[in-house]
Formats: sequence, C-alpha cells, structure tokens
Amino acid sequence: MKERLLRPYLAAKAPLYGAALLAIALGNIVQSLYPRVLGEFTDRLQQEALTPVLISRSALMLAGIALLYSSLAGSGQYLIMRLGRNFERLTRKRLFKQFTRLSEAYYAKHGVGSMLSYVLNDVKSVREAISAGFNQTANAVILLGSAVVMMALSGLPLGLVAVCVSPLLLIPPIVVYFGPRIRERSRHAQEELAAMTESAEEQIGGMRVTQKFAVEPMMEARFGARVDGVYGSQLKLVRLSSLFQALLPFLGSASLVVTLAAGGYHALSGGITVGMYVSLTLYVRLMINPLQQIGNVINTMQRSRASLERIQELLASRPDIEDSPQAVELPQRADIAVRGLTYRYPGSSRPALDRVDLDIRHGRTTALIGRTGSGKTTLAKLLLRMMEPPAGAIRIGEADIRDVTLRSLRGSIAYVPQDGFLFSTTLGDNIAFSKRDATESEIESASRQAMIYEQARQFKEGFGTRLGERGVTLSGGQRQRASLARGLVKEAPLLILDDSVSAVDAETESAIVSSIRRVRAGRTTLVIAHRISAIQHADEIVVLDEGRVVQRGTHEQLLREDGWYAELASLQKGGMDHGGQGA
Amino acid sequence: MADKAPEPDAEERRQERRQDRQDSPPASGSAPDGAERTAWRGLLSYAKPYRKTFAGVVACTVIAISADLLQPFLVKIAIDDHLMGGSGELGPVLLLAGLYLALSLLALAFSYWQSLLVQRAGQGIVSKLRKDLFRHLSRLSPSFYDRMSSGSLVTHMSGDTETVSQFFTQVCLSLFRDGLTLVFILFLMFQLDPVLAGYSLLLLPLIALIAAGFRGYMRRTYQQSRTRLSRLIAFTAENLSGMNLVQAFRQEREQQRQFEERNGSYYEANLREIRTNVLFNRSFDLLGNLSVAFVTWLGGRAVYGEGLEFGVLYAFITYIRQFFQPINSITQQWNTLQAASVSMDRIWKLFQTRSALPEDASADAAELERIGPGAVRFQDVEFGYDPQQPVLRGVSLDVAPGETIGIVGTTGAGKSSLISLLCRFYDVQRGSVSIDGVDVRHIPLARLQRIVGLVQQEPYLFSGSILDNVRLFDPSISEEEAREACRFVGADRLIRRLPDGYGTMLSEKGSGLSAGERQLISFARIVVFRPSILILDEATANLDSSTEQMVQRALAAVSAGRTTLVIAHRLSTIMNADRILVMRSGSIVESGSHGELLGKGGYYARLYRHSQGQPDSGRQPAG
Repeated sequence: MKERLLRPYLAAKAPLYGAALLAIALGNIVQSLYPRVLGEFTDRLQQEALTPVLISRSALMLAGIALLYSSLAGSGQYLIMRLGRNFERLTRKRLFKQFTRLSEAYYAKHGVGSMLSYVLNDVKSVREAISAGFNQTANAVILLGSAVVMMALSGLPLGLVAVCVSPLLLIPPIVVYFGPRIRERSRHAQEELAAMTESAEEQIGGMRVTQKFAVEPMMEARFGARVDGVYGSQLKLVRLSSLFQALLPFLGSASLVVTLAAGGYHALSGGITVGMYVSLTLYVRLMINPLQQIGNVINTMQRSRASLERIQELLASRPDIEDSPQAVELPQRADIAVRGLTYRYPGSSRPALDRVDLDIRHGRTTALIGRTGSGKTTLAKLLLRMMEPPAGAIRIGEADIRDVTLRSLRGSIAYVPQDGFLFSTTLGDNIAFSKRDATESEIESASRQAMIYEQARQFKEGFGTRLGERGVTLSGGQRQRASLARGLVKEAPLLILDDSVSAVDAETESAIVSSIRRVRAGRTTLVIAHRISAIQHADEIVVLDEGRVVQRGTHEQLLREDGWYAELASLQKGGMDHGGQGA
Repeated sequence: MADKAPEPDAEERRQERRQDRQDSPPASGSAPDGAERTAWRGLLSYAKPYRKTFAGVVACTVIAISADLLQPFLVKIAIDDHLMGGSGELGPVLLLAGLYLALSLLALAFSYWQSLLVQRAGQGIVSKLRKDLFRHLSRLSPSFYDRMSSGSLVTHMSGDTETVSQFFTQVCLSLFRDGLTLVFILFLMFQLDPVLAGYSLLLLPLIALIAAGFRGYMRRTYQQSRTRLSRLIAFTAENLSGMNLVQAFRQEREQQRQFEERNGSYYEANLREIRTNVLFNRSFDLLGNLSVAFVTWLGGRAVYGEGLEFGVLYAFITYIRQFFQPINSITQQWNTLQAASVSMDRIWKLFQTRSALPEDASADAAELERIGPGAVRFQDVEFGYDPQQPVLRGVSLDVAPGETIGIVGTTGAGKSSLISLLCRFYDVQRGSVSIDGVDVRHIPLARLQRIVGLVQQEPYLFSGSILDNVRLFDPSISEEEAREACRFVGADRLIRRLPDGYGTMLSEKGSGLSAGERQLISFARIVVFRPSILILDEATANLDSSTEQMVQRALAAVSAGRTTLVIAHRLSTIMNADRILVMRSGSIVESGSHGELLGKGGYYARLYRHSQGQPDSGRQPAG
C-alpha cells in the first residue's frame, strides 16, 4: 500500500512548474540562436561582406542573447529549486505528524536512527531528484531539443544532421544498462556506511567498558573492519559510475568526429557553406554538455526512487491505535475494571500478562508490585492505550477502553514513567508539558510536591534553566523528580506512577511518598514499584509474578500471609533483627 | 536528554562547563582562519602517502582534457587550411577526424582512470582518518566523554569524515580537472592570438571580484541553514525518543507546531541560500556569454581590419565559452568545500584534544611485580571536577587485601569520585591513591584497568554473541574460559536455555535479556578478566529485589578473595560488608560494621530507618 506523494504535489504546483519550464525553455531557445548568429557572421565574412556595422550588430545580438538567457534560465532555476524545497518542507511536516501517530509497537521495531533518516536523508534525496534533477533535465532536454530543431531550421541537410547525431542514440541503452547496476552498488555503499555509523555509535557508547577492560586493540579491529567495508563498497561503486560518466561525453566526441568528417565532405563538395559547417560543429558541441547532465540526473533519480518509496510506505502505514467509530467520552468518576486480561507482545511466546483481574477504584490508591518483567509496565501502557488491549478486557465504568476517545482517555491520565525522560527545553517547560499555560505558582507547587523545587532554586535561572545537551544535565534521581512534577501538574483524575522514584535515595523517597499521599487524597492513583517502601500505604496492593496476579490485599494483610510479598518485605528490611552479624 | 548522569557531581561540573560551551562558536566555519589552516595542513599529511597517486591523477587529467580542448583547434585547421582556402581535398579533413577520434578514445580511458585514482586515494585517506580518529578517541579520558555527547561524536566519526571524503571525490576532482582545463585554455588562446588572449585576461580580475563579493554572503547563508537544520534534527531526534510521553500527554499537536516552526525557519534559510547560489552561478554564466559577444566584436574588427584568420576567431570564441565551464563547475563545489572545511576543522579539534591523564608509568618492573594482593590506600585525597569546588576533602582510607567495603551516602557525597580516582578516570588534586604501595599514576593505564575491575549500574553489551561479550572479542581468551566464568556466576543455565546458547546475538538495544541477566553477563566478564580489585558502582540498583538476590549470589562468588568496594544507596546491598563507610559532603563521617553503625545511632542508623519506611517523626511532612 502506498500513499502517492510526488504526483499530487507536482499536479498542485503544475502552473508554477510550467512557468519555470517555460522560462528555461525560452532561455535555451534564445541560447540556441547563438550558433546561428555566428554562422551568418561567418558566411558574411566569407562573402567578404563584413562591415563594422555588421560586426557590432552581431556582437550586440550575442550580448542580448547572453542577458536574456541568464535571466530566463536563472529565474526558472530558482523557481524549481524553491518548489523542491517546499516539497521537502511539506513532506517533513507530514512525516513528523505520522511519527506522532504511530504507536509503541512501531517504535519498538524501529530505532530512532532509522526514523530520523527519513527526515534527513530520504526527503533530501527526493528533493534533489526533483529540483536538481528537474532543473538539469529540463535544461538538457530543451537544449538538446532546440539544438536539433535549430539544426533542422538552419537549412542543413537533414540526412547530414541525422548522421552527425547518430552516436548519441546509444545513450538510452547505455543508461538502461548502467542505471540499475549503479543503483544497486550505491545502495550497498549506503548500507556499509550505515553499518559503520552504527558501529561508531555502539563503540562510543561502550567506550568506558572498552577502556576499563583495556581491550582497545580488539575494538579498533572491529571498527576497522567496518571502515574497510565502506572503502571496498565505495570503490566498487566508483568503478562502475566512473565508466558510465566517461562514456557519455565520449559519445558526444564521437558525434563530433562524424561531424568533422561528414560535414567536411559536404562543405568541400559544396553541399553546405562553411558558415553552415561552423554552426553544425557548434550545434553538436552544444549537445555534449546536456548529455553529460542527463547521465548525472539519472544517477540521482535512481537513488531517490528508493527513498520516495520508503517515505510513501511509511506515510501509508496506518496507526494501529485510533478512535473507534463509536468512540465515547471517558466516563467520569468511574472505577476501572480489568478482567481476564491476557496480553502477548508480537513475536513472543510467553504472555506478558496472563488472565489478570484488577480493580482500580475511583479515589483510591492501588499498587502493583513485582519483579522485573512481571508485566507491571505492560499494564500501565495498556491503560494508556499505548498498546491495544484485547476487547472487553479493560472497562472504565460501562465503557470498553477501546471505545473511549484517545483524547479523553489520555487527557485524564498523568503518566510518570521510570526513565524520567525530559526534553531539552527549560525545566519549567518540561514541568508544564501537558499544561503549557500553567502559572508560575502551579509549576512551583508541583515541583515542591515532587521535591525538585529546592534543586530548581539552586540553578541560576531557576525554572528557566535549559536542560539537555546545551544546558544542564540532571542526575537520574533529579530527572525522575522533574518528570514526577510534570505528572503532578496535570492534576489528572488518574495518576500512574511507573517506578517513578527508583533512582531517588531512601530519604527523599519517603518524603515524596508522603507528599503524593497528601495531594492525591481522594483521587485515583496507580503506583507501580518494586520497593515496598513506595507502596505500603496503598489501599490495595496487587502482586504480579510472570504476568499473573499471585497475591492481593493491604500491606498488613500481605505481611501476615506467607508468600512472595512477605518474603520480599523481609528481604528489603534486611538484617533488622540480626543486624551486625554480617561483619 | 538521553545521556545519563548517575551522580550530581557530574552535573555540577557540567554546569560549570556549560558556560564555555555556550561561548564557544557554534560548530561551523566561523573558526579563525589560523585553525582552519592547521586543519588543512593536517589533512595534507594524510594525503602525503598518496603523492604518486595524485601525480598519476594529474597525468591522466592532462590527457583526458586534451581531446576536449584540441577539438576547436582541429576545426580551425580544417576551416583555415582546407575549407576556406587551400587544397579543398577531403583526405586531410578525414585525417583530422581520425586524429580527433583517437584523442577521444584516449580521453575516455584516461578520464576513467583519473576518477578511479582520485577515489582510491580519497577513500584510502578517509579510511585512515576514521581508524586514527577512533584510536585517538579510545585514548581519551572520561572527562572528555563527560563533555561530549555521544551523538556529536558519532557525527564526527561518520558524518564529518564522509564530508571530507566528498572533498576528495568531488572538490579535488573538480579542482584537478577544471583547474588544468583553465590553464590549458589560456595556453591555447595565447597560441592562437596573443592580443585577443591578452584582452581575455581582463576577465580574471572580474571573476575574482564577483567571487569575493559573494563569498561572505554565501558563507553566512550556508551557515545559517546548517545551524537551522541541526536544530530541526535535534528536535526530531528528541521527540522520537520521547514519543510515548508526547502521546501520553496528548501533546502531538503542540509538538507538531514546534516542529513546523523549526521546519519553516530552515526552509526560509534554504531559500536565502538558493537565491544567493543562483545569482552567483548566473553571474558567471552571464559574464561568459558577454565575453563571447565582446570577442566577436573585437575579433570581427581584427578579421575585418587586420586580416585575422577566421578560423582563429572561431577557435577563440569556442575557447572563451569553454573557459567558463570549469569556472562554473569549480564554483558549484563551493558548498562542498565549505562543508568539508567545517568538518575538517571539527575532526582536527578532536585530534588535538589530549587525554587529561598524562601517561607516566614510572613504576619500575620490581614495583609492578608487587601489585597483586590488592591493598588500596587513599592518602589525604583532595579532588574536585572543578578545582575550585572540591568534592573530596582530604579523604584517607586503607583497604586490606580481600576486604569488602560498603560505601553509602546521599547523592553528591563523593562516593563515585572516590572510585573514579581508583580507576584513574581522573587524577587527584592533592594526596595520592595507591595499589599495593604503587601510586596509580605510575602504573601504565592499560595495566591499571586490568587490575581494577568495575561493574556499573547499566551493563553495556556490544553487538555480538554472548561469548564475545563475556571475553570482549579478545581472541586470547578461550571459549572454555568464558564458559567457565559464566558457570561461576550462575549464568550458564540461563544462557544454555537461550535458542542459540552462547552464540546468541546480543546488542545494546533489544537484547531480549532482562536487566538482571545482562548484569550477570557483565559479572562473567569481570571473572574472565580477573581483576585483583573489584568495584561495584550501584551494580544492583536497577534490579528488583528478587533478581537482586540472584545477582547477590553471583557477587559473593566474584568478590570472594578479592578486594571489593561496593557503592549502593540501598542498604540491603551492603549490610554484609566487612566495613561500611558513610560519606557526607566529601568526607568519611562514619565507619564500622552494620551492627556497630546502628549502635552509634548516627546518620547510618537514620538512613536505615528511612529504608524501612519509618522516617523519624520530626521530619515527617504534614498530612
């Protein structure tokens, strides 16, 4: 399935493209008058009819041709390049929009690097083909065409013209032969380059390990192999493309050889004047450059066709999570009921969640605890519909979660993920991410609740401090707290804390837990954690293990019960009663 | 914000450096010419081994362009000697055509060889550059990696070197071919008619004037569009990484708007760049065509008045047109040249970065021989990432061989700095760190790194098999040794359950292993490399408590008989250590076993209560 991209754009901009082509065409037609002027000039000279006036007139005509050609061709060229850039811009916009619609499943399969390369490389390659390509092809084709027409009009015998340009007829078969082969090799070269980039990325990411184990020579050898791969594939490409690019001008030269001989014969036998002979050689010369250009353009086009297809494919892929036709608004103040929820990641044999039953009651705090890989985060993502739960498994009030509009569902949930991802804008902008018009005091109070306020005040620019590569880098714990403030500012009916304070030290954690309990009193909260200290106050604690609910109850109930929870509690409490024996 | 900063110390020093970075010029060509010149000289030293190849390229170029350039000359002979006057026989004309055919064939062969040779040299240079750059990077100290994001390093490694390679394949080729063409044309024009040629020389200052006029403007527009593009890319990359947040918070539309803002401003910059380029190229075009008109006028009068042969005028007109072709194609290389110059500059700056850790290695063989048992001594160590802000203030510590030390403290207390000094990621400002009586600064770095083993919070896996990851691609470590290590840490059973066993391919992303399993592999790595001192820096922080148990068992196996330093903010990890150190703002404030410290009722005891979810009542927030 494909979404047409290029054709509609070209169709929409047809008048402008038409104008550009017209300008280039006129420019070239004007330019092809030039051999004619010189030819006449020669004939007059031979007839000894040359006068100073005639000389000046010829010179002026040539100057006029120069001016007209430059302005016409220049404006046509500008117009076409501008249209190309505009296409690039529109396509980028659509790509980004598509990125925001694709779901978790897509992101899990594709790396950021490969998605970025759509915006960066593919779009560029298509743009180059349609602007540089359009430009040069138009130029070349028109120049060729007008040269042929002018030759025909100049009174040269058609048979002679045909003989002179005959070597040029070999160009299409040569292009057809070389084109796909060059494309194949250039694709291979691109792949090698991508592999090298990937290797560089990995090696730099693991530099600390490499240095720590002093295995630099091994890693140099690994990276070196990738570099050699690029070298080899590039040379393979060059061998072919150089031959191709040398062949095309050769055909032009061959035409000139024929012209010299055949034209000379006709001039000597009186078939044509010397002036016609002069313009004939000039015409053939005029044709050589455009032919070379066509060769270049074909190479560019070959490369860009694959890119265009890639973009079209991406744009055509339907986001797998969308509002259903009968979507309703999210019911207010409703309990969330999870019944028999089984979820399997694509390509995985074991279900991540296995027949899970769970109630998240309105106004209460529910907690999920379990080891890594027990399915806690999967459940959170299903609640947000980042991934699609099976029909009927999750209900909010009366409505199946799949029949709730995404806008109202996600609008009512504040999600605080474990990784504490922040954008490289200011700290304040990050906190006010879901509420761009949040007041200073709203940001302040959320950051107090998340225990990041003191930190923010220590920065010179406070909440206006820029984060990220060009600004301040926060520690893992600080990022988690800022991300928590971002969730709290939303004041959403449902707050999901997905292991949100795991990188925060124990002292700060207990302060955060108390402050969240305070601000979320009477509102629904789902806490996911693997530390008991983070969840012990919850109204209900559900223990997940390998995707199944193994225990549920309050902290006190679960402590009394034999099982995973009590075991974990004693583990985390550690040598409380037998402290000191470890020494 | 993809990069991780496990310790706020790191953050502090980043804040400090932020200032310099903002002051430094944006990565573009605005560096002073001096720096650029050095960069080019550096590149030239890479080209040196290819001297002969480049000489071959020049030779090929001369032959390749001669056919093209002699053609008008041959037509001139045909016109003047055979068509307009002379014998009027066909034979000599055919001979001329044959000569031209031979020349063309030569041109075909030699222009092919020429571009092949140029590419071979260019790609060879770039390969060498890439390998050298990587070797250089792997020698740089951690303080360098604190400063540089891995993203921009990757850009240097692949993007910038690729641009430099374009310099060879496009700019160099064009300079050779077009430069020589120009020289040839001038030569031929003087051969034909010195007076007319003299007039044509007037063109040169004109061309220089146009080029100079456009140069600054083109540079500015080019830089502007480059900067805006990199902003657009950075924005996109970041949003792709954080897309789940954008979606969870329903900010798609707002982010689209911000994207469009950057997209639009890049577009504007592009248009400005295009306008400049089109104007620039067209003014040369125009100049070329006007010159033809001028020569026609001048030459026509000469033919009329002074009996200049018409064939000469014909050839002259053709040459003057050809004269502008190479100039045009050289100017089209302008952008590539500029990009290459910027890239070269950046690569060169990297090459000039020196490791912050001078290789001293003054320890003699006898001293190095002594190293083994793993006694560690910190003596009055003072250290700060910024010397003005000490992170460690006079820390002294003696660790006996085989002892296990636990280190706790709030973030920023200096725990990680302590171990960074032991690994010699940084050097002390005062005092010394020594292993078995030898100052770490005197031990060859590679040797030191094998003596001190470090396991961090995030195990890093390279793309390769499990086996490769355990022995880190070191062929001197046998497969059996690696398997033995995995058995030792208890990873063997788990690995053999995988579909390809030890051959299972891993990668940094999506290895299909859990955090605990990945950590186990990094433990096996440590076992294989047999360090005498082991450091665990939050090695179990990302694991949940039960996975942690499995890892703890592996840990106990690994640390047995080894000097071990464990950093954790979860007390359960270090409660069983021989000795626990409590650090606060750069000093060791408490020291003793778990029991002893609880008995003291100090900071450790309070920390312990917090970890049990029982904050002391006085500090409990209201509500």
